[in-house]
Amino acid sequence: MRPLARPGRIAVHIALILYTILAVGPIALILINAFKTRRAIFSDPLGFPDARTFTTIGFDQVFAKSDFGLYFVNSLTVTVISLGLIILIGAMAAWALTEYRFRGNTIIALYMAIGIMVPIRLGSVSILRMMVDLNLVNTLTALILVYVAQGLPLAILILGEFIQQIPKDLRDAARCDGVSEYRIFGSIILPLITPAIATVAVFTMVPIWNDLWFPLILAPGDGKQTVTLGVQQFIGQYVTDWNAVLASLTLAIAPILVLYLFFSRYLVRGLTAGAVK
Amino acid sequence: MADVSLHGIAKSYGSAEILRDINLSIDDGEFVVFVGPSGCGKSTLLRTIAGLENVSAGELRIGGKRVNEMPPAERKIAMVFQSYALYPHMSVYKNMAFGLKFAKTDKSEVDRRVRRAADILKLSALLDRKPRELSGGQRQRVAIGRAIVREPSVFLFDEPLSNLDAALRVNTRLEIAKLHRELGATMIYVTHDQVEAMTLASKIVVMNHGRIEQVGAPLDLYRNPRNLFVAGFIGSPRMNFIKGQVRSVAGHSATIGFAGAEAVLEVAPGRVKAGDEVTVGIRPEHMAQDGPQTIPLEGRIDAIERLGEASYVYMKLAGGEDVIVRSPGDADAAPGSGYIAHVPSRSVHIFDAQGQSMQASTRMP
Amino acid sequence: MSDITALGVQPAERVFARSRFPLHIAVFLAPALVIYTVFSIYPLVDTIRLSFYSGDETGARHFSGLSNFYTLLTDPAWSGHFWNALKNNLIFFSIHMVVQNGIGLGLAMLLSLPRLTGGSVYRTLLFLPTMLSVVIIGFIWQLMLNPLWGIAEKILDAVGLGSFFGPWLGQESTALITVSLISVWQFVGIPMMLIYAALLNIPDDLLDAATVDGAGPFSVFWFVRLPLILPTLGVVSILTFVANFNAFDLIYAVKGALAGPNFSTDILGTFFYRTFFGYQLQVGSPTMGATVATAMLIIILIGVLIYLFGVQRRLQRHTF
Repeated sequence: MRPLARPGRIAVHIALILYTILAVGPIALILINAFKTRRAIFSDPLGFPDARTFTTIGFDQVFAKSDFGLYFVNSLTVTVISLGLIILIGAMAAWALTEYRFRGNTIIALYMAIGIMVPIRLGSVSILRMMVDLNLVNTLTALILVYVAQGLPLAILILGEFIQQIPKDLRDAARCDGVSEYRIFGSIILPLITPAIATVAVFTMVPIWNDLWFPLILAPGDGKQTVTLGVQQFIGQYVTDWNAVLASLTLAIAPILVLYLFFSRYLVRGLTAGAVK
Repeated sequence: MADVSLHGIAKSYGSAEILRDINLSIDDGEFVVFVGPSGCGKSTLLRTIAGLENVSAGELRIGGKRVNEMPPAERKIAMVFQSYALYPHMSVYKNMAFGLKFAKTDKSEVDRRVRRAADILKLSALLDRKPRELSGGQRQRVAIGRAIVREPSVFLFDEPLSNLDAALRVNTRLEIAKLHRELGATMIYVTHDQVEAMTLASKIVVMNHGRIEQVGAPLDLYRNPRNLFVAGFIGSPRMNFIKGQVRSVAGHSATIGFAGAEAVLEVAPGRVKAGDEVTVGIRPEHMAQDGPQTIPLEGRIDAIERLGEASYVYMKLAGGEDVIVRSPGDADAAPGSGYIAHVPSRSVHIFDAQGQSMQASTRMP
Repeated sequence: MSDITALGVQPAERVFARSRFPLHIAVFLAPALVIYTVFSIYPLVDTIRLSFYSGDETGARHFSGLSNFYTLLTDPAWSGHFWNALKNNLIFFSIHMVVQNGIGLGLAMLLSLPRLTGGSVYRTLLFLPTMLSVVIIGFIWQLMLNPLWGIAEKILDAVGLGSFFGPWLGQESTALITVSLISVWQFVGIPMMLIYAALLNIPDDLLDAATVDGAGPFSVFWFVRLPLILPTLGVVSILTFVANFNAFDLIYAVKGALAGPNFSTDILGTFFYRTFFGYQLQVGSPTMGATVATAMLIIILIGVLIYLFGVQRRLQRHTF
């Protein structure tokens, strides 16, 4: 330990613990009150549910009055397919841009980089028009296409930096063996970039799962809502039913919470490693 | 200028003991080198002297004053880091002047000291450059300059040459030795390279597993290693070790059988008895010397490396041990053929089963 | 299998090796280029184009030059809302820059202390709100601050600040600040992580050298760590800027498209939504929506350009 560190350490922990309570407290409060009776929510909001106050009535109502399971499947479908496409297509482009020197290389790289800084949301007017023309309004396909376009630039940047670190000898050895460029990508590069997927996932998956804007514009209709939009609509409708509101919020939080606590190590590592280089 | 003394210094993180009972006194103006394999605690020991690490037990004195609780800046020390640790956002001048700012040195004095250090180190033309615009050797000199301007009583060097290429390393080594002569300050230097230790030190401290194995002048350690560890660490190529057994003892001499040969060797009285297992150590450079009182060791050549001024003969002795012999460059030998190494008996080291030397400590090679 | 593939591909490659552009590069690039161009760049360009057109009742569109922008900036029916949204957005951004990035920097400093016990637990928990949907966060805080539930009041009471409590989200004077702070609360994790990573990147030797040089903890921060993380603070600032001038979800979830009370929480994102889709009796207008979007695009571009040419060039990235 360094000199002077000891007494200060306690103050540091107090500060961190207080802020952690501020950060996690409200979320915890929602989770514990979702399992309490309406009376207990108001009389003792800070208490944990006990035998007397425990109830799942809010959840029953959410499932009765909305298609929560369907929203969940919609969100999952959109997020997983988008992420898969972003990684595959992004890796292909990143590979082409980092591996080969060809005319227009720099220009294409810069062109792809525009999307990192300019939010695709601002093109919503035209995107909606286009989706109407393509007959894709109220389909998950519309969302997936937009999210892939939105996620590609950053994914290409991150994957490109990662591919650059793969030793060049590996590819050259394969080339000496007469392996085609497609197979080099498929059987050497793709398996090697798996560690970068965590990083790409932080930057693309989370915003997709959480987005409200595009579901609201492109797929607000029957049966195509995502969790975020579904919860937003549900709460708008049943705003006075506290049990149902808390339960719907809990249902929206829970999957992310579980995933996050399982994978936080990778996510945090991805953020701190690949973030600002 | 100041002397440094360490009394019973110990340091541990939890249950891991990094330093154990270190006792050492360093005289004013000495050049002391801490040497040992990585993880032996030499860098930690240097950092405790600097004040960057606290000690768990013991007392540390610099210039006669207890400094255990003193912050680094007040210990009158300056440190040169392995990575140079130059502030990348400051010019060479500012890098050197940075420490003086906190010592409230007045501006003209700061300027005088920086320019003098730059002069000594041939950095005068580079004062406005940023570290990234310098070569490795120049950065290294700036790091030394930053130490010089503080006019410390004790210089601390933490493996300062390990990031330089071989040619530059030799050069800088000579410059550091020259600097020591000119400044006359106490210098403590950490390295894992025994060549650096041998060439720079007035006193070498060999460390292993957080302990001091032996302290002494370079040639003293070479001639009279106190134990197997020091014997193996100092000298290149490494000393050959051969299993042996004491056949009989008579006063100061013992008859020891090893590698199919038998030799009468001088030992410290009372240390051995007949039947003891021992380790015999012979340096490669002492194995090809014709002359009186040599012990012939027979074997077969596995390989030869010809370096020009010498040839290293890799041979398997009759007893099965592999040894290296440093023979003259024009030695007439070929792999597969037989070879006889001639070892002067006064060049043979003997260690007991615990690895401690069994000889009195004043011997000539 | 591998033999067949190799045989199948090689002749094709040989043919294209002579042509100007190798086929495999085109194959690798095409999917990304097509999707990105069609669903990202084209809509942005088309939106800009659309902002130069006006629509009439019949749905026909005609070119009208800069008249939409003229309307937006000067017509009393539009300009009041636009300037109000822009002003609110600037306040929203300023609060993020000061509070969010300030707290983020502070937390990162604490987390980067050497040998901090429980560091990864703190990091994980502090970053948790950032992972959740803005909409969910909005509702959570709406409940927390709801005087009916009174939980915020109760907690403030416990620390002796009960009298300070008010219906912050409902009052015109406090709604914008409250909404901004909710967003700050959620996104503090991002500057915290980025700055934390930058601080970790500074080698320990450098801090040790400063200590030996006599710099105290404050001086080490001010003269060594802060200058070295300036590039990261620049990145954090531009990310905050783009995210803030593009924000929508939180206000929409908490205050609805009308961004009440009395438009006091209206920012460019909500203004854009209302313009495009309409609200209450007002009919939505794609062309005016495109105009607002283009204005936002220009604002964001100005910010990005100031960053790229004014700020980033001056901040030397340091390699250690």
